[in-house]
Amino acid sequence: MNSMYPFLFLSFFMFVIGLGVMIARKNIIAMLLGIELILNASALNFVTYTRFVNQNLDGHIMSLFIIIIAAAEAAVGLAIVIRFFQVRESIHIDDAAQLQA
Amino acid sequence: MFDSVLFLLSAILIVVGSLGVLFIKENIMHACVALLTALFGVAGAYAVLGADFLAATQLVVYVGGVVILMLFAVMLTGGGAANENKFGIEKIPAMGNVKTYIIAGVNVLVISLVVIKIMANVMQDYKAVALPAYESTVEKLGTLLVTDHVLAFEVSSILLLGALVGAAVIARPIGSTK
Amino acid sequence: MNEGLISFLSQFDGHKAFVKMISDFAGTDATSTISFFIYLAACLAVVGVMATIGGLGTYAERKISADLQARQGPNRVGPFGLLQMLADGVKMILKEDIIPSAADKPMFIMAPMLCIVGVFGSLAVVPFSSGFILSDLNVGVFYLLGISSLVGVGIFIGGYSSNSKWSMLGGMRGASQIISYEIPVTLSIIAIVVLSGGMSFGTLIGGQGGFPHEWYILHNPFTFIAFFVYFIGALAETNRAPFDLPEAESELVSGYHTEYTGMRFAFFALAEYIEVFVVCGVAAALFFGGWKVPFDLGTGEAFSALPPIIAKNIGQILQLGSFFTKTLLLYYVVIWIRWTLPRLRVDQLMTLCWKYLTPIALFNLIMIAVWAYAFDGKSMFELFTAMGSGSTGGH
Repeated sequence: MNSMYPFLFLSFFMFVIGLGVMIARKNIIAMLLGIELILNASALNFVTYTRFVNQNLDGHIMSLFIIIIAAAEAAVGLAIVIRFFQVRESIHIDDAAQLQA
Repeated sequence: MFDSVLFLLSAILIVVGSLGVLFIKENIMHACVALLTALFGVAGAYAVLGADFLAATQLVVYVGGVVILMLFAVMLTGGGAANENKFGIEKIPAMGNVKTYIIAGVNVLVISLVVIKIMANVMQDYKAVALPAYESTVEKLGTLLVTDHVLAFEVSSILLLGALVGAAVIARPIGSTK
Repeated sequence: MNEGLISFLSQFDGHKAFVKMISDFAGTDATSTISFFIYLAACLAVVGVMATIGGLGTYAERKISADLQARQGPNRVGPFGLLQMLADGVKMILKEDIIPSAADKPMFIMAPMLCIVGVFGSLAVVPFSSGFILSDLNVGVFYLLGISSLVGVGIFIGGYSSNSKWSMLGGMRGASQIISYEIPVTLSIIAIVVLSGGMSFGTLIGGQGGFPHEWYILHNPFTFIAFFVYFIGALAETNRAPFDLPEAESELVSGYHTEYTGMRFAFFALAEYIEVFVVCGVAAALFFGGWKVPFDLGTGEAFSALPPIIAKNIGQILQLGSFFTKTLLLYYVVIWIRWTLPRLRVDQLMTLCWKYLTPIALFNLIMIAVWAYAFDGKSMFELFTAMGSGSTGGH
């Protein structure tokens, strides 16, 4: 692969889909899936620029930290979802309209 | 040649998986599997880009960790299969219908064309250079992690510890608050 | 980026001549095409041999369990009942393929495939000998950990999609067990990676020698502990007894594959047996010197009287023998443990992982790093000999 545009379009596609998932879906877990897609799109972008623009590996480091943050976010987010389900017996985003249980 | 084949495969995985995440509404479990497909595709794209360590990390973290966590959460919450909340009011599983999706798609197309037109000058400055051969990134990444980026590395370890403890505290059953 | 079968083959004149002949015939450079076909053939060979080993695993399991319980075991089909596995396979293929009507059909079909893909994908980096490794990736062990966690997803999805209580409980147990025990296993592997300074199997095995005192298990006391942590964790990751809670037949009918019949069930069983082989192979490579043969017989230099191609291939065969001997001995131990120890309870399982194995593995990792720093990566044996020669040098 000698061009970086296919990768950039792929990453753009994933980002848009992730955004669409976060806008369109009302299920909290589905929205978390969208967040994962967005984070992956950004990580792919970093790696693409590392490969095609300058070959120093700072972009890889950035992607590594994005993966770390995605893992932490998934753990905490899903814990919040489970807690929310215990309180509200629902994982619909519209049920999360109150600050107090 | 093989690069192109691998890229095409991973691109297909990413496109199919992402569309699956967006459009599979009946069963969130299927959407999780679609996400797994997309993440596999991303790992393949990393491999094409010569980021071997990142590809393996992607597999370890996402396939072994995040997706299984997601599946667990779906099981523990029932996946939100019912479209009614506890007051019996029917909820919309997703906003929009075919019409709005088409309008949104056309909008995205127009906006991206405009953006590409604006960016064209910037992009023309980019000249395709001869790409270096694939080489191992493991040693360089390790060196960078403990020299230039050591602060971020340590902070991320604290972040992970905090996320672990926080998740355990938050997800504890309601009765056991001792 | 990776070395493997092709780089081994391309050192022979025959390969070059063959490539040249095909290139002349086709009119273009045929190197990559020939590499592709060589890989294809090698992959088919590995998959075939591994499927046979998985099948023989069921036979070995029944024969060894019979031995431990003073029974005969299968002895009707073929000599010593060796063809029992073929009979089982034919039975599995001929059985009716039932998909429960309440099952989630696409995922029900996908689950055994995920298991098989995860296991066969991990075979790509298993080092059978110095020449016969499909791809010596420089992230070998890490890749293996990642791709084999697909098995956990497969088990979970199999348990979910069957829409049965037993399957569901088995799948939940399986997934939680696999992701819990991945931590001590990974930490133990990282400890060895710290010692050898690389994640590819070539580096990992290259740091060891043919004799036991050169293996990593006897490198220092902490690697000795790390091996047992790895082995216990690997047993749990492959759902083998005493950690076979996901398929505990006395509580859950047969766990996540209760609703599976015919070839789909066989896929689960095959995946389990091959995964046991893979984790035993990794244990052999990491801790027992892998394909190293004593006296460096594996390089073929000892047979220099013979033509180099024959000498090298004799060396390769010795290396294959060494690797398979170690792996199959560990395989025997796994089966032996299964028929000796009782099954754990779920809370005991989690206690063992989080309260014992994980802290021990962390401690091991730190101590091995300290050892590698303090003694410059020297093993205990080297330190002893250095002490001995130092004292004699003083006289």
